[in-house]
Amino acid sequence: MSWQTFILHAFTYGILLYSILLLVCYICIGAFSISETRTYLNKNSFTDYRVLASSTEAPSMSIVAPAYNEGATIIENVRSLLSLHYNNLEVIIINDGSKDDSLEKLIIAYDLYKIDFVVNEQLPTKPVRGIYKSHNPVYRKLIVVDKVNGGKADALNVGVNIAQNNYFVCIDVDCVLEQDALLKLAKPFLENSTQRVIAAGGVVRIANSCEIEGGRLVKVHLAKQFLPRVQTLEYIRAFLLSRMAWTRLNGLLLISGAFGAFDREIVIKCGGYNSNTVGEDMELVVRMRRYMEERNEPYRVSFIPDPLCWTEAPSSFKILGRQRNRWARGTIETLRIHKVMFFNPRYGLLGMLSYPYWLFFEFMAPIIEFVGTIGLIIYCLTGPINWSLFMIMGGVLSIGILYSIFAIMMEVLTYNQYRQKKDILRLVLVAILEPIVFHPFVVWSSIRGNIDLLRKHNDWGEMTRQGFAANKKV
Amino acid sequence: MFLTIKYLVLNTFLPIAYIIRVNYQVIVIFSIVCLICSLLIYMLVYIYFKSKNEKKQGKWRLISDLLIRKAIFYDDDDIEEETVIPVTDRAKKLMRNKHFRKLLVEEITLAKKNITGTSADNLKHLYQQLSLDKYALKSLKSRFWHIKAKAIQELTIMEMKEYITQLYTFTNDQNELVRMEAQTATVQFNGFEGLRFLDIITYPISDWQQIKLLQQLSCVPPVNINIDAWLKSENSSVVVFALKLARNYHRFELHDDILLCLDHKDPQVRLEAINFLCEIYTDETSDALISRFLKEDFKQQLAMIKAMQNIGSEKDILFLLSLLDDKNHEMKLSAARALAKIGKNGLSSLQDHATTAGYPLNEIVMQIKGELAA
Repeated sequence: MSWQTFILHAFTYGILLYSILLLVCYICIGAFSISETRTYLNKNSFTDYRVLASSTEAPSMSIVAPAYNEGATIIENVRSLLSLHYNNLEVIIINDGSKDDSLEKLIIAYDLYKIDFVVNEQLPTKPVRGIYKSHNPVYRKLIVVDKVNGGKADALNVGVNIAQNNYFVCIDVDCVLEQDALLKLAKPFLENSTQRVIAAGGVVRIANSCEIEGGRLVKVHLAKQFLPRVQTLEYIRAFLLSRMAWTRLNGLLLISGAFGAFDREIVIKCGGYNSNTVGEDMELVVRMRRYMEERNEPYRVSFIPDPLCWTEAPSSFKILGRQRNRWARGTIETLRIHKVMFFNPRYGLLGMLSYPYWLFFEFMAPIIEFVGTIGLIIYCLTGPINWSLFMIMGGVLSIGILYSIFAIMMEVLTYNQYRQKKDILRLVLVAILEPIVFHPFVVWSSIRGNIDLLRKHNDWGEMTRQGFAANKKV
Repeated sequence: MFLTIKYLVLNTFLPIAYIIRVNYQVIVIFSIVCLICSLLIYMLVYIYFKSKNEKKQGKWRLISDLLIRKAIFYDDDDIEEETVIPVTDRAKKLMRNKHFRKLLVEEITLAKKNITGTSADNLKHLYQQLSLDKYALKSLKSRFWHIKAKAIQELTIMEMKEYITQLYTFTNDQNELVRMEAQTATVQFNGFEGLRFLDIITYPISDWQQIKLLQQLSCVPPVNINIDAWLKSENSSVVVFALKLARNYHRFELHDDILLCLDHKDPQVRLEAINFLCEIYTDETSDALISRFLKEDFKQQLAMIKAMQNIGSEKDILFLLSLLDDKNHEMKLSAARALAKIGKNGLSSLQDHATTAGYPLNEIVMQIKGELAA
């Protein structure tokens, strides 16, 4: 056997083995997701959330919403947060050194005045310039913090320092929440008497093309543009399948930075958000889990499949590329920080399954895909066409499509947000097109993320949003 | 003969085996494509039948609405066991269909939740007249927890008090949802008396269930029930719930019993006891808290100092002043707040201490003054 043939075989069978492992993972994720979703839906059919809304015994919560240059929409967004159905609530808006007039607008709109407040610096942060409260008792829940710019993680840490309640909910200020989102997110913290629930996440959905009025979602539509539409499918797949399955195993490593609730005490004990990574949301969950594992304390990270939070997805390749680049860097940084857990039995399922899965199938997948594609092109150009390699690629591609179709089916059988038949057919079409049109770009963005990290380019990347103003019902 | 068979077998299977060997990759892809198509077909068929069912259910809903309306407005002041609310032949026929029964039960329970008085009694009568209670009883024997729990919930909403004995047996069921619904049922039927399940339960009552029970109890007139025994329960969650009951219903006479809970081995019980003492206290309560302060965990210590904001008096000033030098900011702030709330002497002691201590105490004093002024 010549060395060329050996490399070709190693390459072909390597990719085949990886594909088989991936298929096994998909099957397991599908099975666990069905089981977890069914249990949740059965359980949820008994729940009357109004009980929590009116109870004085409901856990007190603090919403922490960092804002940077959000002047155009900040007033509306804060109003939306203040109107959420929840009794024991404080809303903390962190103006992270915005260069625009966000703070001035807030001061005028909500009749704010500067108060004397000594910040308890349990987590180190950039200096706080001032804390504001409203003269108007209607806005008594509102606290606005003005601080020196330090990034999202730093702003969240300031929020954690200032929050008075046992649980805090971090959200992106431009997200639209369902009115009962907090009630649903609070429940997991009350349910478990044997394990301490340290964090809970909810499903984030794509709001592009949806009708939004006064900061509230009025009607759901499937995104009209291709990029947001394909991200809708991606989000369904990630939230309804992957996260539900990992919740079943109690191995969930990621709660979206756009919307998640955390046990404040544990967050402080394990050092808060890490300002040195762009994947601060995942890194915090991994660190909290690691903290609990190292202390042998029974704990749980919960996730609920109800669509609770709606966000605007990037609709241009430029912004999307930046986002995926950042996500890739965030994943690598988190895995690097916590490499001690890799196949370490001390960390139980976290070390033996969750971490290796993220390493092999989240971090390495784009690299393997990229190398595979380059290899395939080289073989096609330099030698006889290896059909079996093509077949393997075709197999991987069709598995991907199958997985997406399965995710759409789960959506139809459970929450069915897109009620029109043609919307479902559009999603199916997107599932078929995604591996050819969208996925290569995502893989390329991840590769660029890897390269940027190697070059130590570690900025957040500007995320320009169109805003929901265009989606208002006419 | 043998050779012929061998020849035949080889001739038949070898080509297939060859095809399979050569084209196994094609077969794999073909199978995946088949799977995709089956999922698609399943989904489309599901959507088709769902929309068809929705139309059918729309018609059924009209029938059940009519039935419910008839029952609600049934013109008989004194509805008796023998009274028969007229049911159309179509509805009677549909009652054999379990999907219709499910929909009807949903509609009846929904209506029952929102009405009271004679109309509610009429609905209850209709429910029994259609033997829906018997179907619910049958569901109690189901091996699926959610069916069992749903049946208990249904019987509870329909106020089927006659089945309380059957439902009571589920109050310590191993399934959390089943026992929660059964506990809700006993409280719904018997009010405070229904809490007797607290004597026997071995499983913990979750915080969610405690909130639900307290909310239910808030709708019935308070009765002086015997909480003392629950304060000594082996089940810590029962003790926590009893403490919440005592606090919510201002059971002053339990003050001394609850002081004993400050020495309970479960930190959650101790915390709840402190919360009780924050609202119901005597002149000696603060001494009891101070005497246990040093051996407590931080969370409980902080709760104690927060309680002092309510119950502290001038005799506690020295103790609170000693906490102003604590390393923990939260402790320092809570102690300062407690001092400020004690009165003029407390506030002036705080200010004097802050002047000598400097930062951050001087700013904490400013913050507290601002809070008091707001």
